[in-house]
Amino acid sequence: MKALTANRLSDGEVVFWKNGVWVERLTDAEIFADDAGAGEAEVAARAQPTVVIDPYLIDLVDSAGFWAPVSYRERIRALGPTNHELHGKQAEGGGAVEALRQAHGAARSSGRVNLIRRK
Amino acid sequence: MPKLIRASGAAFRDEEDAFVTIEDDAPDPGGDIIVSLARYLAGSESLMARPSGRLGVRLEPEDEVETLEGRLSGVDLVALAFPKFRDGRPFTAARLLRTRLGFSGEIRAVGDVLRDQAGFMVRCGFDAFVPADGSTAAIWAEAAGRHSHVYQRAADARAPAFVERQGE
Amino acid sequence: MYRYDAIDRAVLADRTAEFRDQVRRRLAGELTEDQFKPLRLMNGLYLQLHAYMLRVAVPYGSLSPVQMRALADIARRFDRGYGHFTTRTNIQFNWVKLADAPDILDALAAVDLHAIQTSGNCIRNVTADPYAGAAADELEDPRVWCEAIRQWSSLHPEFSFLPRKFKIAVTASPHDRTAAKVHDIGLLLRRGRDGETGFEVIVGGGMGRTPYVGPTIRAYLPSNRLFSYLEAILRVYNRHGRRDNAYKARIKILVAALGAEAFAREVEAEWEKIGPEGDVPAAEIERIRDAFTTPDFSSDPSTGDFEARRAAEPAFARFVRNNVKAHIRPGYGIVDISLKGIGETPGDMSADQMDLVADLAERFGQGDIRSTHEQNLVLPHVRLEHVHEVWKALDAAGLATPNINLISDIIACPGLDYCALANARAICVAQDIARRFEAPDRAEAIGEFKIKISGCINACGHHHVGHIGILGVDKKGEEFYQLTLGGSGAEDAAVGKMLGPALPIDRVTDAVEAIVDAYLRERREGERFLDTLRRTGDAPFKEAVYAEAH
Repeated sequence: MKALTANRLSDGEVVFWKNGVWVERLTDAEIFADDAGAGEAEVAARAQPTVVIDPYLIDLVDSAGFWAPVSYRERIRALGPTNHELHGKQAEGGGAVEALRQAHGAARSSGRVNLIRRK
Repeated sequence: MPKLIRASGAAFRDEEDAFVTIEDDAPDPGGDIIVSLARYLAGSESLMARPSGRLGVRLEPEDEVETLEGRLSGVDLVALAFPKFRDGRPFTAARLLRTRLGFSGEIRAVGDVLRDQAGFMVRCGFDAFVPADGSTAAIWAEAAGRHSHVYQRAADARAPAFVERQGE
Repeated sequence: MYRYDAIDRAVLADRTAEFRDQVRRRLAGELTEDQFKPLRLMNGLYLQLHAYMLRVAVPYGSLSPVQMRALADIARRFDRGYGHFTTRTNIQFNWVKLADAPDILDALAAVDLHAIQTSGNCIRNVTADPYAGAAADELEDPRVWCEAIRQWSSLHPEFSFLPRKFKIAVTASPHDRTAAKVHDIGLLLRRGRDGETGFEVIVGGGMGRTPYVGPTIRAYLPSNRLFSYLEAILRVYNRHGRRDNAYKARIKILVAALGAEAFAREVEAEWEKIGPEGDVPAAEIERIRDAFTTPDFSSDPSTGDFEARRAAEPAFARFVRNNVKAHIRPGYGIVDISLKGIGETPGDMSADQMDLVADLAERFGQGDIRSTHEQNLVLPHVRLEHVHEVWKALDAAGLATPNINLISDIIACPGLDYCALANARAICVAQDIARRFEAPDRAEAIGEFKIKISGCINACGHHHVGHIGILGVDKKGEEFYQLTLGGSGAEDAAVGKMLGPALPIDRVTDAVEAIVDAYLRERREGERFLDTLRRTGDAPFKEAVYAEAH
């Protein structure tokens, strides 16, 4: 499973793709089961250079019934910094945030779609 | 013809460009031409002997500007190429052309040339620009005149802050 | 503090207006991200994991109370009430909006601060000895030269698009508190045989992927020739530094490829051609010197009850032992403010804490505040009779941790908690180690011990020069940490040596403790950890860390 993410141009906020618009919570994001759909969304997202910066796909795994990014980096983007639990998206708490925090087991994976190219 | 912005003093104007850049193996079409450094070095005598038309030499960032030392008398224009606007070597080349080689002809910025470098380019001795961002002479003038003070000497006549302060 | 004149202020105003226009063009779609990125970086604006980050220059680590309050105000208005002091002595705001950045720059310019050249492939903020003007062992105040370099390098028309970033350090003390030998240029102020001052010039040190301790390319450069010499170095680098590979583009690679001697010859030949025309006139250096405020030192300051309280209050005595250093003037002390509270984020400071430090600097510290490359602050001129009151106030705000140069005084970059380049977190590793060594008696018994943690090979956390360096790496999506031993950023600069295979995050603190225990077993009278390590080699430490695993 994949999601499409980017940072919003105007404020840098981490955002996720949902049927042509950008949402702030991973739980609201569109989940792609197949590469074709994900690829189409990525192309569409790249056509919005004044809305977001550098959209890319991330791999997801199931964690306690929620989708969690495979890589630590993407989990931190989806949550906020681990040294300030009241900063970033994690501040609102709840089951989805907990599921992301606990989703350690699947980290051993190469599932960073496009990340190498971004560096 | 491609658009050119020319600086004379603090004034900037839009111009049509009379020069044509020719490939190393292309025949000389006559008129005002720009050739590569290699072509110039290989055939400088015949290029100098052209019956009419002005001559320009184009340097890539890796070309050593000192190669032109003592060979600039028939050269009207030196074009310095910015393959990427982040490549800062042409700034040094322009400054040395003006201050060390004493070149008083046109120094032209070509390639990935953006208005955000206008001030730096003018200070280093460029006086003609082929902008890649569609900027006009008016935009270029504003960008080049953005800073009312400068801190260091360069190839222009601007007094650095330490000279201005002495006058106070 | 250097006092800006009308010209200095005009430069900031013009630059801020230029950046406001660049932001407008980006938001309007007139600039692509590829075009805008180098422009925003030239003004210290990064896109990090969660938001934009603005890096504000603290020129050579010097701040006034008014400036510190302005930073606090920005933290409250535009960020989340805090800032992060970096190993480049700058401050970063982590939650900045692009649309707000021009207003933040205006607020900075109002107090003579800026973000000019805090990133990008240009000459960055100069590093100075944080004890400048106060250190008992100093030859003269290096900040005069730092300010002259700041001006000379600001918006330099020829050297704003170098192959890679460029960092200069200046120190005038035999004890190097700037890490000069791992800078692109390190300038060590020396007294010449003629009684004049000059610089030993070190070029090509650096950390990152390929760490080097820089070689000396000129043993003595008369100080009145500094700027033509800098121009020569920068020109050789601008022309010949590699541009084909960002990891090989720093000047250290050029110096290493040519060899220090050949590089020095190139520089000297260029310097000859430039001549004194490239120098800043002596009158301007004197003007800058005069534009610095002079501390108003009492000729015979009372030390009040300083000694009595030291004798009576062990906690105060501990603070003085670790956080107060000898001042060049009798009756004064240099007070280090630790931004390494146990369990806190190294270098982070709340807006309220900033306001408090501003107040203390105003009341007791001659209005002078410094930031250090070890991510702490300094009040360089405090009368000993006031140290107790300063300590009390700092302590109440969580800023009096008596751990300067001790094992919990850990440098850590923002790492994967914030940074888009990071491979692993650094902050939580620092916090965990600091908690393990929280007991102050134990920390003092261990003595000088510098742990430095970077979340990636770019080495913002200076891991190469840590006594223990810790480098976060990504192993198949998991955070692992590579330990190095024996680095030093001081006058005995050295690059640490890798100890063994990288460790998972939950084994790092145990490994550090094993190294410390081995040191305590091995050490002889008076030896620092570094001394013991240099005598024994790393075998006992390797054994301590990896023995159980096999």
